[in-house]
Amino acid sequence: MKIKTKTTTVLMILVSLIFLTACKKQVFINDEGNLVPKTVEHNLSLPSIAVNGTHLHAEAFGHKDSALLIVIHGGPGADYRSLMKCEAFADQGYRVIFYDQRGAGLSKRHSKDSYSIQLTLDDLSAVITHYRTSVNQKVFLLGHSWGAMLATAYINKYPTKVNGTVLAEPGGFVWQDIVDYSKRSRDIQFTRELVSDLLYPNQFITGKDSEHAILDYKMSLSSIADGHQDNPTGNEGKLPFWRWGAVTNEALFKIGDRDKPNWTTNLNQYNTKVLFVYSENNKAYGLQHAQKVSSAYLNVQLFKVNGAGHDMLSFSTGFNNFYPVALTYLNALK
Amino acid sequence: MKYVRIAVVSILVCFLYQQSFSQTLNFNNLKREDKQIVTANAGLDYGLVYGAGYGYQVKSKKPLILSVQLSGPSGENLTDDFKTKIGAQMRFYKIRNFHFTAKAHGIYRKNKNDFVTLQNFGAEVSATIGCYKQKWFTAVEVGFDKAIVTHFKHSEDYKQIYPGVQDGWYEPATGGNFNFGVLGGYSFKRSDIFLEGGLVTTQNFSKSQLPFYGRLGYTIRLK
Repeated sequence: MKIKTKTTTVLMILVSLIFLTACKKQVFINDEGNLVPKTVEHNLSLPSIAVNGTHLHAEAFGHKDSALLIVIHGGPGADYRSLMKCEAFADQGYRVIFYDQRGAGLSKRHSKDSYSIQLTLDDLSAVITHYRTSVNQKVFLLGHSWGAMLATAYINKYPTKVNGTVLAEPGGFVWQDIVDYSKRSRDIQFTRELVSDLLYPNQFITGKDSEHAILDYKMSLSSIADGHQDNPTGNEGKLPFWRWGAVTNEALFKIGDRDKPNWTTNLNQYNTKVLFVYSENNKAYGLQHAQKVSSAYLNVQLFKVNGAGHDMLSFSTGFNNFYPVALTYLNALK
Repeated sequence: MKYVRIAVVSILVCFLYQQSFSQTLNFNNLKREDKQIVTANAGLDYGLVYGAGYGYQVKSKKPLILSVQLSGPSGENLTDDFKTKIGAQMRFYKIRNFHFTAKAHGIYRKNKNDFVTLQNFGAEVSATIGCYKQKWFTAVEVGFDKAIVTHFKHSEDYKQIYPGVQDGWYEPATGGNFNFGVLGGYSFKRSDIFLEGGLVTTQNFSKSQLPFYGRLGYTIRLK
């Protein structure tokens, strides 16, 4: 009887192995292109620039000699797909530059320990240098969320290099403000379906830091929260995106938590007026937080974008309310 | 072919783990005549989760309980996310009041969100060492949950994000998580009330999004 049982066991294992290896179509979870689109490293047809030792997914619109308007996306780790409405500034005499930050969107991936805030600033400098055709060409920054923090970190470091900036709902310019806002923006009742949908996949999918396709896909699943009725950030729908950069997201948050950055120490050297916008429907932000964060600048024009949530530049109602104000601001400085 | 393959894998998982199980109970009070064990619990397990289980003690030299479990996270839709386990639990060694037990389960679980429906066949093994007295018990446990093969079917929402996404059974094993924790319980009559909790880490020892688990439960032994 024992021999029979053992034989059955061995046979079952062998049959299973045959089936496992005989399957013709195997879909591998970490292969680029299966669950997430390929980056510029693996898809050479994507528009890109090679700068500062990396390869960034990037596009430019408008006349090459017009004033530069560098659009800086949020995240960290998101991409510029949701900000493409800003291309409209190209029709108004601006050279609009979009780029996915290092390790984000469709830009090249790097190891987790290679990231630093200074590196993201150097990348921004390199993007400006790449597209700038003369030293007299003015440079404007338009940052959304994390992108607005990055823009401020850049101005804090290089106050004379930026001719004007539009900041849309940065979490904060000092670490504690960022932490406080992050907490409020994730304040979702634990019993809700959305929380289950965000947490439950963790038992299905895990990946190493080097398995970017897996980690990026897993992070993409978190985007189901965009536009959800339980999400306090108030978007009217799901955001378009190409691919999240999970490793850069985690790396930069860890750096923030470790270094507790303060990007306001040198802002008193920046006298140019700043356009600071916040949304009507983001319950985690509001006038009070907007006033607190924007007060780091000497000269601020504060503007509430009605009919929109945190991603006010991505949906028609918000963008249509934002655009004329931003254009007037930029034209006054051009 | 892929369905045959999944069926074989699931049979294999159950077959390999036929000597495993799953109830949290006071082994000191488990008698030969306790044939059926019923448990209910609630807690944190990749979300706020409710679960129930049924165990059957089979005749063997050492206490051996075959069990099935069903659990699901809270939310408005109670059928789109769930986890089922089938397996066994055995006390394989005892010295005085110290009991060494092991569990193993085959798992089928499902998760549906706005972007994708995931179906997974996996396996979970764990070991527990603890002190079990008549009125109470306490133990430490370590476990590993492997998501062996997972089917991805994406929604139109995600296909708008990435039209080139591939649906199908994904390989190799799509995930794995360790858990390390403690458990304790109070026993009365034929019942146990237990509390367990600990840390969850991925198989690469990176932090999980919900890096801890916890469960409050009730177990009753029936003849």
